[in-house]
Amino acid sequence: MAQILLLEPDIVLSRIYAKALEQVGHKVSSVFDAQAAINVIDKFAPDLVVLELQLPIHNGVEFLYEFRSYAEWQKTPVIVQSFVPPSEFKLTPSLWRGLGIAIYLYKPRASLQQLLNSVQDQLVTITA
Amino acid sequence: MHAYGTNGVINSHSSLLLRSVAEELKLPLLQIGRDAELQNLASANIAVDLKRIQNNADMALLLVDSYLLGLELNEAQAELTLEPVSLSGALDDAAHTLNQFAKQYDTTFELASSGKYGPVMAHAIGLKAALVSLGYALVSVPQEETSRRQVILGVHQSSSGLVAGVYGDFETLAHTHLKQARMLCGRARQPFRMLSSGSAAGVFVADTIFQAMHTKLNVSRHQKHTGLAATLQPSQQLALV
Repeated sequence: MAQILLLEPDIVLSRIYAKALEQVGHKVSSVFDAQAAINVIDKFAPDLVVLELQLPIHNGVEFLYEFRSYAEWQKTPVIVQSFVPPSEFKLTPSLWRGLGIAIYLYKPRASLQQLLNSVQDQLVTITA
Repeated sequence: MHAYGTNGVINSHSSLLLRSVAEELKLPLLQIGRDAELQNLASANIAVDLKRIQNNADMALLLVDSYLLGLELNEAQAELTLEPVSLSGALDDAAHTLNQFAKQYDTTFELASSGKYGPVMAHAIGLKAALVSLGYALVSVPQEETSRRQVILGVHQSSSGLVAGVYGDFETLAHTHLKQARMLCGRARQPFRMLSSGSAAGVFVADTIFQAMHTKLNVSRHQKHTGLAATLQPSQQLALV
């Protein structure tokens, strides 16, 4: 099972997602903004990050640029789970890959089961 | 020609506000949907908080109702008659409505209306709806898991009237943020990033209602807290209670 950093600004949703992930055995660290995420990363050492792009102060893309600037976090998979529809997320596929976004889930249409499946898929990819 | 222009402005504002409200409503609906799904995923191990589901549904309905009320009051603004309304009563009602919702955000909700204030000129239902919408927006401001926010519904006297609003630990909030947020309402995903990771619709709904009552939201300080508040004119009628 994996260590998952959950970057979700809404406390209620964060607790729901964390419960679902913990239920299948993952260890979750929940943070509500990009700065808090950067602060806990070294100590928590996530295997995977679940990220909302709409964050207070610094947005999720700014977080990703910062996150990827550290050598040790360049290969950690990131699942974006956001209120921003992918069609509005105007990055070219190469930039998308460059930021290491493994999967993009549009939050209003992504079930908990889809999130759990996506996490599982990525963890299988890491260990393969 | 003038009427067409005026209608155009009203329609434009209402459609931008509608977009903001629609974006905001995705959050409580998602919370309800995922809460219910959690129960199905793990029925044996996790007891789903039905009270939380009820609170989220109730607050979403209140936001929709307040949005519609804001539109109605603005459309009837020329004929809108303000009446003497008990400010402490409106604050008390709003605090009561918001209390359960605040708990799920680990927020302590306090009513700070010390001092005896007479009635203000307002639309009674509109005043309560504006305060609740504002509280809804400020209670759900993201915060650290470890901290516990205190949000205050407060009123104080100023040289221009009675200032009523919602306050918290938003020290860096400035008038320029509010001004910019008004311009971005319905046009940006995060028009008020100082306060909300979403559309902050509650703030704009409250602002719309206050504007129908010939006032508007401003950044204000109350005791040691900063927040958003509107200045209301005291009624000249004698306060009997």
